[in-house]
Amino acid sequence: MSKAKNPAGGKDNFTRNLVIAVVLGVVLIMLVPTILSKQSDSSAAIPSSVSVEDGYGMVFNKELTDVPFIEIYEDFQCPACARFESVNGAYVEELITTKKAKVAFHMLSFLGAESQLAANAAACSADQGKFLQLHKTLYANQPSENSGAWTSSYFSTLGLGLGISSSEYDKCIAENKYMGWVKNVSEEGAKRNINSTPTVFINGKEIDRQRAYGSLADFMLAVEKA
Amino acid sequence: MKSKFLIAQPWIGLIARLILGGVLFVAGYLKVGTPDKSQMAVRAYEMLPISIANAFGLFLPFFEVAIGALLILGALTRVVAILGGITMFAFIIAISQAWARGLNIDCGCFGGGGSVAPEDTRYLQEILRDLGLVFLALYLIRYPITKFSIDKNPTPNGADTGARGDVE
Repeated sequence: MSKAKNPAGGKDNFTRNLVIAVVLGVVLIMLVPTILSKQSDSSAAIPSSVSVEDGYGMVFNKELTDVPFIEIYEDFQCPACARFESVNGAYVEELITTKKAKVAFHMLSFLGAESQLAANAAACSADQGKFLQLHKTLYANQPSENSGAWTSSYFSTLGLGLGISSSEYDKCIAENKYMGWVKNVSEEGAKRNINSTPTVFINGKEIDRQRAYGSLADFMLAVEKA
Repeated sequence: MKSKFLIAQPWIGLIARLILGGVLFVAGYLKVGTPDKSQMAVRAYEMLPISIANAFGLFLPFFEVAIGALLILGALTRVVAILGGITMFAFIIAISQAWARGLNIDCGCFGGGGSVAPEDTRYLQEILRDLGLVFLALYLIRYPITKFSIDKNPTPNGADTGARGDVE
């Protein structure tokens, strides 16, 4: 830093330059981990129900081909996602169990650390076959954003409530086993230009944002037409 | 009249520095922890190719924190005010084009961002706010000598006269 320019001939700008160097240094130090965390990690552990070619989504009825393909991009902490779940969640679940649709859940984490913990827990529950139950329960009991309610021990306890009694699940939560996957999901969402949660595609086309998100009838119609 | 302005000028400069710097610092600080959201906010303007928008959304908060902090401290005031002014001007262009094209987005200025319901857009307020900040930047570019800044005062009288120097 040799920007010192001192026409007055008084003290030099040493202090100022030092301050500039410190500010820029601190910002750069903060920037590096952020950039590193944004790199997709293709070696990250993924639950068996996750499909890499479907943008790391949690896929149900993957083997079905001639049914509508519903892709849901959402964040466990997003209130609009909780509304979507309360309006259309039961229907989506029914489509899955009756094998009338292929469904991919993309658990994004726009809203920060607790969204990441929740997404990791969702992946852990998927290994125990409880993803849909956990998905529903989390939305039904959504706390306010990053309030500190969602911790590792919260998700361990929640697992018991869902009837998961497996040390593997607890270990998965405690170790944040699927955090690499959580980041990969986010990166894929960013590449696919997802600018809002929830965002729902049916066969690659977004449903009507004005109507189909908040109305079961309109959403069903969109699925039927597909 | 003229001399009154000369006395007030560095104080006005201080206020301009603190407001512009404070807004930039806070805006950046609120976004550094949520890069995903910041990237989404930039993508939602639909101005840049997705990969460039993502890179921009990643760096912008850090840039804002840096120039905000330097403005608050009063380091390299003129240079930093130019950068801050350009940033605000760019925001005005981005928000205006979103408005003109009928996009329904939140500016994402202080976190948040992305698509919102049409009745929740606040383009006019956002543009007016940024316009005010551009004027503060212009003031600091014209009169970069301000009170309590760590820039050396380039007047012959030295430090004890504070910032009461002419800028030319």
